[in-house]
Amino acid sequence: MATVTIRNVWKYYNQTPAVKDLNLTCPDGSFVSILGPSGCGKSSTMRMLAGLEHISAGDILFDDVRINDLAPKDRDVAMVFENYALYPHKTVFENIANPLRLRKASEATIKDRVNGAAKLLEISHLLDRRPSELSGGQKQRVAIGRAIVREPKLFLFDEPIAHLDAKLRAHMRGEIKHLQKTLGTTMIYVTHDQLEALSMADYIAVMHDGELQQWGTPSEIFNHPVNAWVAGFVGEPAMNFVTAEIRGGGDGVTLKHANFEIPLLASQVGKLNGAAQAGTARMGVRPDALTISMTRPDGPAITGVIFVNELLGGDMLVEVQLQDVRMRVKTSTDFAGKPGETCWLTVNREKWHVFDAGDGHAYF
Amino acid sequence: MASRDVVHYDTPLQRVLRVLAVIFVVLYLIWTLLPFVIMFVSSFKDLLAAFKLPEVGDWMGIGVFFDFTPTYKHYATLFQENNFGRYIMNSLIAAGGSAVISVIFGSLAAYSLSRVDFRGKSDLFFWIISTRMAPVVAVMVPLFAIFRSLDLVGTLPGLILAYTTFNLPFAIWILKGFFDNVPYGIEEAQMVDGATRFQAFTSILPLVAPGIGAFIVLCVLFAWNDFLFAAIIGSGGAKTLPVATRELVQPQNIQWGAIMAAGVVTTAPMMLLGLVIRKYLVTGLTMGAVKE
Ligand SMILES: Nc1ncnc2c1ncn2[C@@H]1O[C@H](COP(=O)(O)OP(=O)(O)OP(=O)(O)O)[C@@H](O)[C@H]1O
Ligand SMILES: [Mg+2]
Repeated sequence: MATVTIRNVWKYYNQTPAVKDLNLTCPDGSFVSILGPSGCGKSSTMRMLAGLEHISAGDILFDDVRINDLAPKDRDVAMVFENYALYPHKTVFENIANPLRLRKASEATIKDRVNGAAKLLEISHLLDRRPSELSGGQKQRVAIGRAIVREPKLFLFDEPIAHLDAKLRAHMRGEIKHLQKTLGTTMIYVTHDQLEALSMADYIAVMHDGELQQWGTPSEIFNHPVNAWVAGFVGEPAMNFVTAEIRGGGDGVTLKHANFEIPLLASQVGKLNGAAQAGTARMGVRPDALTISMTRPDGPAITGVIFVNELLGGDMLVEVQLQDVRMRVKTSTDFAGKPGETCWLTVNREKWHVFDAGDGHAYF
Repeated sequence: MASRDVVHYDTPLQRVLRVLAVIFVVLYLIWTLLPFVIMFVSSFKDLLAAFKLPEVGDWMGIGVFFDFTPTYKHYATLFQENNFGRYIMNSLIAAGGSAVISVIFGSLAAYSLSRVDFRGKSDLFFWIISTRMAPVVAVMVPLFAIFRSLDLVGTLPGLILAYTTFNLPFAIWILKGFFDNVPYGIEEAQMVDGATRFQAFTSILPLVAPGIGAFIVLCVLFAWNDFLFAAIIGSGGAKTLPVATRELVQPQNIQWGAIMAAGVVTTAPMMLLGLVIRKYLVTGLTMGAVKE
């Protein structure tokens, strides 16, 4: 159990920066997810935490103790590697037992712990096999087993369930979360799957291009993204972005576009600071903050033409063509509109966002 | 893993080629095995019987080769009069000692060269290999001078050192290839699991075991069969089998029977070794080349 502080950390591979000036504080016992697209520096961060990669600049502290120069074995972390890194010449049992053996645990403890972990991960029947005789998902669970078999200060999970099927993944999400809460061990969990981060983490650190974009609880990240990039990355189906003109001043500010003109709520006008009063901005609306109807509604609405309907199990996703972009709307499966017909979209203005057209930061 | 079955398409040309291949293999087998057969059979023959040959062209007379009463007297001579027990020990110690030393230092050096990046690494590596490029004879005289001034001539440690000088670069070169093929992630996982760097290194040794095995065999073979070092640096106190065999050739009396027996004594252990580790040797030498 430890509070993990990452302070102004940089990682350079030769001349290319992979992590840029990262600052994070993971509270003791929290479940922190590092979320970002491929190549954004998630694994680099994890490897610096584990002591496998030199820290180019900055400090990493566990409980206020600087650990930059500590060897991996002295950091007392358990890591699940992105590429599993199992020991090919050892059986599954011995793979999982390895950390305990290195700590000279008794044979009885080892047996007990390994069997416990295997049962939790549903790999009890595989204990005698070697890694080459396992599927990708099974290997991944062995790698998790090797990490949870002891009780370290800090768990580092690098995309631990990316190779499991959807059902097993949902199951493992629950198990990992439960395990972390039961043990109370700080967990840093890397994923590029926003659903995983939103559903499991206490805090999410969203990274992009080696830079921390936003730190917050899942609901903060989802409901109050700090910029258009975070807003677009988090949420599935992704948020709709429409570039629109800001019109008016004082109270009567509207967003104007060829297909609509919608006034901002009174409380939102103040958040658009003066600089943005005239000019363009990017409107962001999630597909479930839009309501589609085939008749013109009373309030302000977006006019468009249905492009295609996609059935997503219990929901229907309708793509609507505006003049320059398409917007996606979530609706119920009994929606009767056909491609080519004109429709109207009403925006739930409590849930929409306006981003700066330049640097993309959120006004609200 | 892909299936190992190779699909064959039988064309007339292929059938002819197959027959030719069989003929070639048979001839080649005779060519390579016959000397050993003659050596083995002759070592059990009287001197008179050994030189009983059929007429040239008389293929039926081939039976005279096998028409003799076996005798073990040549072997008795070797061990009772010529002290061959001692020479076998010398050969074993020299070959085994140099193999063990080379493998220990070789794997440590190879591991570092494979895992650690430092300035001048490729130059260092090239220099290590290049020490093997000069023919042994070329360095023999200076080496002898050095060994003599260190009082190593004629001693087993001297011979072991001489073999190690030549085996170590070879060990580093072979083993580096094997370490290169072991993913570094395995050691990283070990270190996070709580291993020291050295424990991480020893933990991957089983993965390079085929390489180590292959190297030990080549190294033992080199030392066991060596004549040059043994004759010059080992002469006197550290006589090995090839040198001792050579000494059976005396100006007025070439002891053919004893020489044949000595040949058998020298070759047999290596052949046995070859048979025992054959499987190992093949996987060892190919594993370095094929990426998993
Ligand atoms: N050993 C290395 N040498 C040079 N560049 C590297 C090295 N490792 C990573 N990089 C670069 O650093 C950047 C960040 O890599 P990193 O592995 O941290 O990404 P990631 O966020 O884990 O991505 P993914 O989701 O694909 O695993 C990438 O652009 C990558 O190309
Ligand atoms: Mg990664």
